[in-house]
Amino acid sequence: MSVKAISVVWPETEDPREKLLFDPRPTREMNNMVLDAMTTTSWRYWLVIAVLVVLVLIGIFGAWGYQILQGMGVAGIRRPVYWGVYITNFVFWIGISHSGTFVSAILRVFKAEFRRPFTRAAELMTSFALVVAGMYPLIHLGRTWRFYWMVPYPNQRQLWPNFHSPLEWDMLAIFTYLIGSTLYLYLPLIPDLAMARDYSTGWRGNLYRIMALGWRGTEAEWHHLKTAITIFAFAIIPVMFSVHTIVAWDFGMTMTVGWHSSIFGPYFVVGAIFSGVSAVVTVLLILRKAMRLDYFLRAEHFDALGKIILVFSAAWTYFFFADYLTEWYGGEAVGKELLTLQARGPVAPLWYLMLIFNVAIPLLTLWNKRIRTSVRGMLLITLGINVGMYIERYIIVTGALSRNRLPFNWGAYNPTLIEILISIGSLSTFVLLYALASRVLPLIPVWEVQEGQLSHRLRRIGRQLAPSVSELD
Amino acid sequence: MEQIGQDEHRWIMVIDLDRCTGCQACVVACHAENNVPIVGDEEVRNGRAMHWLHIERIWIGEYPNVRAKFMPLMCQQCQKAPCEPVCPVFATYHNAVENVNAQIYNRCIGTRYCANNCPYIARTFNWFDPEFPEPLNEQLNPDVSVRRRGIMEKCTFCIQRIRRGRENAAAEDRELRDGDVQPACAQSCPAGAIKFGDLNNPESEVSRLVHSPRGIRLLEELGTEPSVIYLSGGEAHVG
Amino acid sequence: MDDKTVTLVAFFVEIAPVPNTLDLLRQEGIDETDMTVISNMPYSSSILGRPMVWERLPIISLSGAFVGLLIGLFLNVGTPLLYPIRVGGQPLIPIPPSLVLTFELTMMGLIVSTFLGVLWESAFPSHGPRIGNPRISNGQIGVLFECAVDEKDRIVAVLEKQGVHDLEIINREERTL
Repeated sequence: MSVKAISVVWPETEDPREKLLFDPRPTREMNNMVLDAMTTTSWRYWLVIAVLVVLVLIGIFGAWGYQILQGMGVAGIRRPVYWGVYITNFVFWIGISHSGTFVSAILRVFKAEFRRPFTRAAELMTSFALVVAGMYPLIHLGRTWRFYWMVPYPNQRQLWPNFHSPLEWDMLAIFTYLIGSTLYLYLPLIPDLAMARDYSTGWRGNLYRIMALGWRGTEAEWHHLKTAITIFAFAIIPVMFSVHTIVAWDFGMTMTVGWHSSIFGPYFVVGAIFSGVSAVVTVLLILRKAMRLDYFLRAEHFDALGKIILVFSAAWTYFFFADYLTEWYGGEAVGKELLTLQARGPVAPLWYLMLIFNVAIPLLTLWNKRIRTSVRGMLLITLGINVGMYIERYIIVTGALSRNRLPFNWGAYNPTLIEILISIGSLSTFVLLYALASRVLPLIPVWEVQEGQLSHRLRRIGRQLAPSVSELD
Repeated sequence: MEQIGQDEHRWIMVIDLDRCTGCQACVVACHAENNVPIVGDEEVRNGRAMHWLHIERIWIGEYPNVRAKFMPLMCQQCQKAPCEPVCPVFATYHNAVENVNAQIYNRCIGTRYCANNCPYIARTFNWFDPEFPEPLNEQLNPDVSVRRRGIMEKCTFCIQRIRRGRENAAAEDRELRDGDVQPACAQSCPAGAIKFGDLNNPESEVSRLVHSPRGIRLLEELGTEPSVIYLSGGEAHVG
Repeated sequence: MDDKTVTLVAFFVEIAPVPNTLDLLRQEGIDETDMTVISNMPYSSSILGRPMVWERLPIISLSGAFVGLLIGLFLNVGTPLLYPIRVGGQPLIPIPPSLVLTFELTMMGLIVSTFLGVLWESAFPSHGPRIGNPRISNGQIGVLFECAVDEKDRIVAVLEKQGVHDLEIINREERTL
């Protein structure tokens, strides 16, 4: 290469029209794009649905049913590890449920414009992840058929639940979050349901007519809706923080070494957002390919989400290390034993895998824009992060229980086939619900994209065609 | 909220480890008295043995000069029990009349949270429905309910015997005397290592024994205030 | 309103002429409350040149939050008194743990009442006949107003000068405003 060629470098110009909000399309075309993606189903889609239905039947109806009839003994939990894969799954799915709220509410509050096309896809994940997470406390109960004894209502037993118990906080927090996030999913959906109603006939027409509640798009309706979305966005953020904090307090409020830690609340919240946003990227990549949403989901979005994941990877590393170092430096003898167990015991391979997936890979790759915008790269990195986060919860739940202050009470835990089948069944439940919903609900918030496109214009300043945003509110 | 009869009794157990021979008579008596199921070899290997009371064997010294010590372990009946506040349905709570840590089987929904929060790992769980094969079913104790699968259980200080002792005393129109109440383990101990009684009764044997310089309480530093006192170190101290 | 009014919707393909049309209608003596803009995305009052509407929703939300707070206090303070049970050496009504649940139930009240408030304020669900919705969904903007029957022809003529894309007249019976 000649010296001349290197010395003259033209500034890299990026076409702003590569960004969704600077690439408007006519309303009718955009509506049809969203509706076509929703109503087109290939044989592959139905094959996936069939496989998922079988897995749900085996895992949830078969394996869980068997466990209810036989007793918890069919799971691998045993003295002293009374909690196992079920609680791990519970924490994991609650973590995934932080995706939607973070993407939708926090990015909305901060007016991050790139959020527009995928808020709904993320909110839908929140609701379904919460449904799956909510199954686990039931799966995990020794007497599932008595779960309603935890619900506070006046009853013939004249006994109210124990509000000292973190599990009670947990139940009500999840309930609040499930209601909140589902309503927060539904409200911005109403105008899009009305759009779908006007374009559809038959059973879809009827369904959307009922679900759109008679939306017409008058000034007053828009005004109420936008006010409500703002209230929800601000209200749901503290609820989101509280939910995973309380999940962490299920562990933090105990005397168990390895759990009793004041950093657990924020540590879990950061981990939840880390895994949740990663799962959003995974899901968006799959949706983009399977539903041909290339117009709406573009490189810029994965670029932006990649940066968020990078920040949360660093934050998770920081919290992890703060917790680790405290235990290493001045913890109890059992705490040291736990650290030894992680670094050199039977779970050591998992523990190092967690560090590779959660720390090494994201921090070493996601600073690079080319990797952030590569489909295969992001798919692998985000799947890896969720494997890593699952391992983290598994080690926290089962590791701390296997070692306690009285060495003659130590024990070990290995999941059984039943636990694995139920775990696969619940994952399938999530994917099944999502796959079905993706063909019933408009996954792209059309009106929000159009609102964004209205406020984004290209302005010529000298030689540059500069992207500019106007505040319309 | 003062309750009638609060702090009437303060039941404690004193176990002399220097006397314990590890004969397991207490374990058998406990199973028989409290309808504790026998789970079988395979489940014991799986870590699902359901002893409310089990004997830990602790080796002291280096080979060849080793010596075994035995330590009966059961629910320590903490006065500030960590298992209690975590139960969402009040299945375990502080019985303020007897000052023991009570377990109401029929309230339990099986979260197993209490078992995780017990530093002594004293609680056992019904992993399956209990079986009492012939002739064990003939000797089930009618004073104690049989627990189904999915329920947490643990040593109750034989609360049914405490109740019976109080009822008998009331029927005879007298105060409860030291020795009226004996849990199954104390009654069956051939070495007399397990003593049980009311700390609120200054005349009781345990009231004397708690002052022994050999006395320790397990993991006392956690602040759980256990009601089981172990006497140990007889070789070095005078008891 | 008496029987002698008629409801009209004027459709526009873009937002630019809409504020002027509203001005024209005002000049023609249409009351501010008798007209509204229907659209497939939100246009703020400042874009449309309309007076700000007082929004009752925040009040509804705060009232809901207060009800939630009261329920939370009842659960934390009231229920332990109904059936006192001591656990773990903790007070019967411990303050720090109570804050957790009180917070959750306050937020639950806030969230649920905000949603119900939207339904109430927008009179949802309403399943009466609707006007021009396919056009609105296709991106047109409708100016919906009510005027006296004898005024109708005059106003239509004025509007047609303004560049109205299309005009729909709705009979009294179909009225949904």
